[in-house]
Amino acid sequence: MEATAAKPEVFSRKASGLSRVMSPWSAFIYNFLTMGVIFPWTFVWAPEAFPGVAVWMACLFATLLELPIALAYVWMATAMPRSGGDYVFQSRVLGGAIGFPIVMSGFVIWILQWVALAGWLFANLGLAPLFLGLGVHYNSTGLINAGVWAEGHQGVVVTSIIGAALMAILLVTGFKNYVRLQYFMFAGTGILVVIMLAQFLRTSPAQFAVAINHFNGIVDKNPAYYTWLQHDVSSTGFKLFPKFALGATLLAAPIAWTSTQWATYSVEQGGEIKGARVFKNQMFIIVGSLIAVGVVLALIAWTEQRAVGTGFFNAASASYYGAISASGTGIGKVYPFPGMFAIIISPNPIITVLAAVSFMLASLQITCNCYIGMTRVMVGMSLDRTLPAWFSKVNSRYRTPVNAHLVYFLLGVCAIVGYSYVTKWYTITLGVTFACGYVFVLSCLAAALLPYRAKALYEASPGAKYTLAGIPLVTILGLIGFVAGGAAVVAFLVKPAYGLTGTSPGLTYAIVGGIFVFSVVIYWIGRYYQKGKGIDISYAFLEVPPE
Amino acid sequence: MALFKKKDGAGYKQSRLFFATDIHGSERTFRKFLNCAKFYKVDHIIMGGDIMGKFLVPIVHEHDSHYRVTLQGTTETIDGADALAAIKERIETLGFYHVTVQEDELHAMQADQAQIDAKFRQLARERIERWIALADERLEGTNVKWYVTGGNDDQPEVLTVFDEVRSEHVVNCEGRVVMVDDLYPTANCGYSNPTPWDTPREVDEDSLEEILEEAVQGIDDFTSAIFNFHVPPYDCTLDDCPKLDWSTDPPSPIVVAGVAQSAPAGSTAVRKVIEKYKPLLALTGHIHESRGLVTIGRTTVINPGSEYGEGIIRGCIFTLQPGKVVGYQMTSG
Repeated sequence: MEATAAKPEVFSRKASGLSRVMSPWSAFIYNFLTMGVIFPWTFVWAPEAFPGVAVWMACLFATLLELPIALAYVWMATAMPRSGGDYVFQSRVLGGAIGFPIVMSGFVIWILQWVALAGWLFANLGLAPLFLGLGVHYNSTGLINAGVWAEGHQGVVVTSIIGAALMAILLVTGFKNYVRLQYFMFAGTGILVVIMLAQFLRTSPAQFAVAINHFNGIVDKNPAYYTWLQHDVSSTGFKLFPKFALGATLLAAPIAWTSTQWATYSVEQGGEIKGARVFKNQMFIIVGSLIAVGVVLALIAWTEQRAVGTGFFNAASASYYGAISASGTGIGKVYPFPGMFAIIISPNPIITVLAAVSFMLASLQITCNCYIGMTRVMVGMSLDRTLPAWFSKVNSRYRTPVNAHLVYFLLGVCAIVGYSYVTKWYTITLGVTFACGYVFVLSCLAAALLPYRAKALYEASPGAKYTLAGIPLVTILGLIGFVAGGAAVVAFLVKPAYGLTGTSPGLTYAIVGGIFVFSVVIYWIGRYYQKGKGIDISYAFLEVPPE
Repeated sequence: MALFKKKDGAGYKQSRLFFATDIHGSERTFRKFLNCAKFYKVDHIIMGGDIMGKFLVPIVHEHDSHYRVTLQGTTETIDGADALAAIKERIETLGFYHVTVQEDELHAMQADQAQIDAKFRQLARERIERWIALADERLEGTNVKWYVTGGNDDQPEVLTVFDEVRSEHVVNCEGRVVMVDDLYPTANCGYSNPTPWDTPREVDEDSLEEILEEAVQGIDDFTSAIFNFHVPPYDCTLDDCPKLDWSTDPPSPIVVAGVAQSAPAGSTAVRKVIEKYKPLLALTGHIHESRGLVTIGRTTVINPGSEYGEGIIRGCIFTLQPGKVVGYQMTSG
């Protein structure tokens, strides 16, 4: 069939209609923010983990890595435009016995780590730079001490819990409150990206050296910090100017995938997006936001490295992420994040406040994302009766699933405290990337099997008309996404450079495996419990045949 | 047959019922609905209102085996019998009606609203007649009944088909009390409170209360009663939907500071009648996006939502015994 321009040739009668509240543009923003374009993982991690990496190029490779996954999700999102996204896709195509434990372990449990991380980001990228930047500008020891406190365990835990509680209250009192705040978050992110790019583009390494020496002279009492740090790292034998290596750059792509893998997160609330069944809308929301973030990440990486100088860029990564230090002093109190550097370049109050507030808003956005996505997944599981009905109870006053939010907040507090005070917990920070990665990869497999395992659903979807050599295009894209994403997920499990198994692989495997087994057990307990009440959970995942 | 039904420890007979609503003419959804009896192993199937489709799609014959059709905002050129059959199936899955016309016939229809209205009624009646026949064919040899009532979107002159066509398995419940599975007196009403769309069967709240009071006449004991009312009770979370500007055509969502506003759209009359009579179960629909289950006093109130456009049958399986909802399960088939 050939599609041409639309003409009004349909008759309608007086009948009630259905409206969804989230526009495709709003969903695009949601994805863009979820990918955390301003967060620093790739820049502080990749140079130490893979010497010779071109970080900006790794960001683009991560975009390419995610592309088939994102495209497979476009097909799934238009075929099943329902809230609960990955859980719905996997449970309907692969079955509840697979979908539940995968999504429960990889998302619901592991994303608690993101609640903790978001609090850590709030404190380290927002609050601490705010106090330190203002402290340096006004030469105030009190403000500098407040910044140092914010970076410490106590500061991180206190601010994380306050942030998590405030966001829970915001969301419980109505999704519309969040949507309103989201525009400010998007504006904040935009402002920060512009500030960082402008600061980096107008600064040479020599100018940066002067700026950071001044800043650290006040905060760390080290007025020769720029050259000292490079010497402190290079004295250990770490090469500050390694030759460009394509292999290292490709291997660094999974690190940047930590951001780009979230291009599909809007599917968790597919039931709330206007025109969610329209192909071009989902292309814009998912693929569009992916490409936008990929380009911005690459730009930040390129301009930052250009501004601070390659030697310092690599030394900061080695010192901060790899704890490589000949003197044992380490990175000091000023963390080497792009936002911090933007403040250091010209620590005037306006830039400091703008950058810090933008980071804080972006961190709170991550907290919101955790609640929004996971409470919807839990409500979906509860409606399927794989979790108790209590989780899906909607509060009559606020119209939101208060119980699900409450549970997620309380579990989030445990993760926040554990992340700061349980030493080994920190070492599995990236377990969340690995775990969420296997959710995305399994959803790709579900996409590949959609035409065969949920035939009627697929045939009714707008993507059904796209084939290649007679094979449904979603199958091809889903398989490519499964293999590409699967390779990244396996890499996290077996390659210590990705951090997950670096210090204590046995513990990591036990935790990753334990969480998965725990989720399997929950599913089967729920299944047998409900059977006693005349409920067969498997009905929730099966498509009723029309014939 | 009741003697052979499963009994629980207390000796009560348990009944398994499946409820779905708002299928809006979707052929695939209806066929799935009929199969739910066997698939979910339930005793009877109950359908809430809004059975009729909303759109009539002309398939314009251009020349030879070439056709033109506008569907979901896109005009597509159809070439050949297979493509024609596929587009017809897609239109029916979406719950729309189709009519194949020449270019001049299309222009005639565009200029004559009465002709369009008549065509809607004719096609809707034909589809329901076909569905009744299909129900008798699929449910033959079973004791399964399809209990059905209309909704506010259904035209009264179309709903009369249910009385006019004789059937072994289809029970027209509209405006009357029927006994479901011999144990559960069920009151039925498809009217709604006012909507922004000026639908065929909507009345003000006072009139709706009178209709509902009339609908429950004949039930003396509400301990095991079921109310199959199309509209959810007001402000119960099953009636949340975007707040709409009634002055535009079609009504448009009200957005304040970039945020779409939502509001309860249920009926105060329905709420009043439920609170007054305290039935065991209230089956509702109408607001497709507000899927869920709540309790009002002792009454379990359900809105299974609807995704008829995707060919999905959303519903709820109930296990009942007299005076008690033993269990329930939302489904999305």
